[in-house]
Amino acid sequence: MDDARRATEIDPITLEIIGHGLVAIPNEIDANITRTAFSPLVYEYKDFASGLVDAEGRLVAQGSGSIPIFVANALGVAVRDGIAVHGIDEIHDGDVLISNHAGTLGQHLNNVVMYTPVFAAPGELFGFMCVLVHWIDVGGSTVGSCSATDATEIFQEGIQFRSVKLWSKGVRNDDLYRIIEINTRFPTMVLGDLGSQLAGTLTGKKKFLALIERYGAARMRAAIDAIWDRSERVARKGVRDLPDGVWRAESFLDNDGIDGDVPVPVAVEVRIAGEAMTIDFSGVGGVLKGPLNSGIFGGAWPAARIAFKILTAPDEPANEGCFRPLEIVVPEGTFLSAPATAPMGMYSATLPTVIDTVVRAVGKADPARAAGGHHGTFAAHWFFGTDPATGALFQQLDTGHGGWGATAAGDGSGPYKTMAHGDTLDVPVEVQEALCPLLVETIALRPDSAGDGIHRGGLGTEKVVRVLSESGFSIQIDRTRCRPWGIDGGTEGAGADGTIEPAGGEPRRLLKGVTELKPGDRFRLRTGGGGGFGPPGARDPERVAADVAAGYVSREKARAVYRVALDPDGAVDRAATGRLRREGPGDL
Amino acid sequence: MPASPPLSLIVAVDTGGTFTDIAAFDRDRGEVAYAKALTTYGDLVDGVMDCVRAAGVELSRALLAKHGTTLVINTLLQRSGAKSALVTTRGFRDTLELARGNRTNPFDIGFRRAPPLIPRALRFEIDERVHGRGEVLAEPDPDEIDRLAETIAGLDVEAVAVSFLNAYRDDRNERAVAGRLRASLPGVYVTAGTEITREWYEYERCCTAAANAAVGPRMAAYAARLEKRLGEGGFASTLYMMGSNGGVLSVDRSLREPIALIESGPVGGCIGAGAYGEALGIENLIAFDMGGTTAKCAVIQGGAFGLSSPYFVGGYDTGFPIRGSVVDIVEVGAGGGSIAWVDDGRRLHIGPRSAGSDPGPAAFGRGGTEPTVTDANLVLGRIAAGEFLAGGLDLDRDAASRAIAERVAVPLGMDDRPIEATAEGMLSLAAVTMTGAIRRITVERGHDPRDFALFVFGGSGPIYASSLARELDIGTAIVPPEPGNFSAIGMLLADARLDVARTMIRDLDEDALCEIRAAFAEAERHGADIVAAEVPGATATLARSIELRYRGQKHSFVLPVTGLGDVAALRGAFEAYYRERFGHSDPVAPIEIVGIRVNAYANTEKPDLARLPRFEDETEAAASRPVWFGAAGGWIETPVRRRATLPPGFSAEGPLIVEEYGATTVLAPGDRCGVGALGEIRIEIGD
Repeated sequence: MDDARRATEIDPITLEIIGHGLVAIPNEIDANITRTAFSPLVYEYKDFASGLVDAEGRLVAQGSGSIPIFVANALGVAVRDGIAVHGIDEIHDGDVLISNHAGTLGQHLNNVVMYTPVFAAPGELFGFMCVLVHWIDVGGSTVGSCSATDATEIFQEGIQFRSVKLWSKGVRNDDLYRIIEINTRFPTMVLGDLGSQLAGTLTGKKKFLALIERYGAARMRAAIDAIWDRSERVARKGVRDLPDGVWRAESFLDNDGIDGDVPVPVAVEVRIAGEAMTIDFSGVGGVLKGPLNSGIFGGAWPAARIAFKILTAPDEPANEGCFRPLEIVVPEGTFLSAPATAPMGMYSATLPTVIDTVVRAVGKADPARAAGGHHGTFAAHWFFGTDPATGALFQQLDTGHGGWGATAAGDGSGPYKTMAHGDTLDVPVEVQEALCPLLVETIALRPDSAGDGIHRGGLGTEKVVRVLSESGFSIQIDRTRCRPWGIDGGTEGAGADGTIEPAGGEPRRLLKGVTELKPGDRFRLRTGGGGGFGPPGARDPERVAADVAAGYVSREKARAVYRVALDPDGAVDRAATGRLRREGPGDL
Repeated sequence: MPASPPLSLIVAVDTGGTFTDIAAFDRDRGEVAYAKALTTYGDLVDGVMDCVRAAGVELSRALLAKHGTTLVINTLLQRSGAKSALVTTRGFRDTLELARGNRTNPFDIGFRRAPPLIPRALRFEIDERVHGRGEVLAEPDPDEIDRLAETIAGLDVEAVAVSFLNAYRDDRNERAVAGRLRASLPGVYVTAGTEITREWYEYERCCTAAANAAVGPRMAAYAARLEKRLGEGGFASTLYMMGSNGGVLSVDRSLREPIALIESGPVGGCIGAGAYGEALGIENLIAFDMGGTTAKCAVIQGGAFGLSSPYFVGGYDTGFPIRGSVVDIVEVGAGGGSIAWVDDGRRLHIGPRSAGSDPGPAAFGRGGTEPTVTDANLVLGRIAAGEFLAGGLDLDRDAASRAIAERVAVPLGMDDRPIEATAEGMLSLAAVTMTGAIRRITVERGHDPRDFALFVFGGSGPIYASSLARELDIGTAIVPPEPGNFSAIGMLLADARLDVARTMIRDLDEDALCEIRAAFAEAERHGADIVAAEVPGATATLARSIELRYRGQKHSFVLPVTGLGDVAALRGAFEAYYRERFGHSDPVAPIEIVGIRVNAYANTEKPDLARLPRFEDETEAAASRPVWFGAAGGWIETPVRRRATLPPGFSAEGPLIVEEYGATTVLAPGDRCGVGALGEIRIEIGD
């Protein structure tokens, strides 16, 4: 009945035009923030998101370049807390609020959501324009705030703002600006990024208003309902195409971030019944000692929603409707649903593995809809200290990129960043070296790192950085033991690894922690390769020969695992290959 | 024997995706000849020569010729370039394959970038190193270079690209290696990244070098064939190639830097729009070019268009970047042939798939069954059956109507309404895609479209001039003469040009300004020498600009500077510029210099704009037909005029249809139009 009523109000073409208009707003704001932000983390890594939510915080449209983690509707969650804290009647035109509250967002405190109400008419609240930006430092025990690998409480990770008004009825709250300025190590950059965030929020509001004025509030609401309904239909069809049943998969994290050797279980259950899916995280580990926790809206929700979208509606614009067929089950007190006081500096580091595991569970139902495991770790590494050339503080944050899993359709791709990332660019070596006292000796593909199969995984990488001055160094690597798994008979890829190589000293492994480096010391990062698909002994020998020629796969592995013999020129020796393959599967 | 005729023809030939166009201006007779021929993919030179014949151009009378071609972009898109090797700094042979780690569709588990241009087995490393702060840590060993040359000689490659880390700061190692490889590998095309661009970002520069290598040998073969065929036709003057930066370059230079021709075609229209803008005294123009498969737009201010870097071959999502100065164009898949379709979620889409010219829109009656934008225009009377390409093609309105009904109206559940509502909806949605492109080229670059006039050309553009302008709240739309041949006209107007860019990261202070002055002097010498040598007798005109930003920002802003005052003056100018674009500036944040740019120009002989349109003296009988204007209530009997009969000074009110060979202009009720001194139609948009 609802559908019929709506159809009389708005024709499908006008609907399409309004839909384009809504998505265009955050996309334009994204472009402007990229152009005007001050820190590479924002403009290069794109650690921000902008979007529109309705008066109840439901996601209407989000910029298509946003990092997927924020698609779980971090924006709407912040807005709902603001309404709860202030009361709807105390949210006025011209107010701009900010929140990074761990108890609300469940993310690290660097992620600050800014939002402003949009009134269709005086007293008629229509929605909010929101922009989330990762502020590069909000205080805490370590430069960069979220980089304290040894944090055990949220309070070591910076200052919190819970739904406070940065602007009130169009008047700037100077007190709050002073609090912000004095609580960061990089006031110029943070206030610069904040300026860019504010301009984006206000410009987005203006554009949202213009659209509402043009079509009228009632028609806009009808259009938004219809857009949600249609995205819901697409997602429901995606679920319907998956086999009904209860599908389980398990993986684990290396440790809790503080105590080295105790793995943390990641057991998920996916229940598919007709057009509905439940993702159940009851089997994941408890709250962790180290900063790998996330609150329910920063952990369980984004992980489930990203996995759901990958499996059901990858091309659909992100909005509330996409996620209606999904139910998320998670008890309190897991590392994906941690309390507000738990350390969360690296809240997102576990998500790639959780998402990967959900995909793995569905792969058991239908391998063709899944992929082998991906490298799965942020491998975030920071260098920071005083630049002897300028006397100024520097920090260089980068994350690793590694191999993705093979699919029924082809070899795994990459190297790319993780399933929690999107259109996230790494920082060029030339920029790192020009701005920081570092020398990058190599970034190269890592031969033989891919999992093997009819389709092999994508390759991991190896990166070596030499520091040229006394530097602090912080590292966060996982998935060294739970390596990227194969699927449908494919083998697992290599895991990640990190080594400190002191100038003239013995190399030592360092996966998580903070340390000091002397001039000439090196850090070597190896990222994992993707898991393979199908038995390697069935891979086309010509493709194996091509991989050997390119140096992706060694001759030894070609022979031992793929059972392919090559002549001295690298061509397939058909007769010998036939013999090897008849002898049986190789040394898996 | 008669005396040889005076050289008076200026000829421009533009090879496009579907058609090859020619415009030839005869200085002595004041006449212009235009023609179109189908682009010939077997050998593009055939299409050029077909065009020359069709226009009746006597090549022996040519004073100079300019040529734009899709050769470079097509070679790269089709991956049909030369087999090439790559030489990099030790430790970085995979830079080309690693790219930047990003995935443009985060939810697509099978997302994959296009493979690297040069496969890993053909990528080699050499011991050399420049640090990111400029220090040369290791110089290459000649013996190692010679050993590498031997290896490469055994690989049967046609080209080699050399691209070293940080060579943008100091190119001596790159030059040494490229020079030695050239000497020891005769017949192999060798190119170095810094010979093309001196901007930072190693992946982008490496891609540029690799792409230049891949197209180098193809360009050389093409140029040789073209010069031979033109020569056989009597051509004995200078041939220039159209560069993506809007300037022409000599054939010699295009052989060294073929990558400079990457957007060789679309840039013609932008030059033309700039020339008309200047002649008409219009400071701000949006150039909008719509053809059969795509629509493109660019911003033109004070006669100059923006340049962008990087440019993505194959698009941003999965393609690879090219550094260099390429006209800043936003292109979307909406053209006359774009197909309307309804997806599983019952959503209507227009494009990006196009019916092209074969089978073409349903109305062409050549077997096309899918409804296109052209079909919708036909159903609404905006173009007339029997008038397409001056009657050269009969259009079938019933076929168009049927296709729209079956493929759009029924699946959308709109079949209970008149077909015109669906056809108009298709056009509105196509307009959304096009206005989206215009918003990206303006709003996302800090401009307000309302401050601009819309300058519309291309075969499908003028139909939309009025409706796009209205949608964007733009007051004036301009349709130049010969909109269907406008790219070739633009090329007639191009000067020789070279852009020199240097990345130099410095805090803005007096010491830095001293360095910058020296760098400008060096870049100007370099630019002036090269362009002056390309146009005999010409002296170079130079323009300086400086790239600045607040320290820490990514995007720098290119600020034209005449002199180079002191730090305070430069700071003031930057802040004023920043405030204008973003509404705020920061009086205390430190400012950083990112680099300098010098644009060097040398004038070529050009036609007078007033002579370009073709007019006929006779008046014609009044004609009219019903045209659908939904906003005005439906079908309205609308006057139809032939453009050649509308002289400067003509004015009229909408609704009105103006037809000419290859294009139709539509005025909505409430619009007014006038024909200006240059033959341009100027439309003032009604409320």
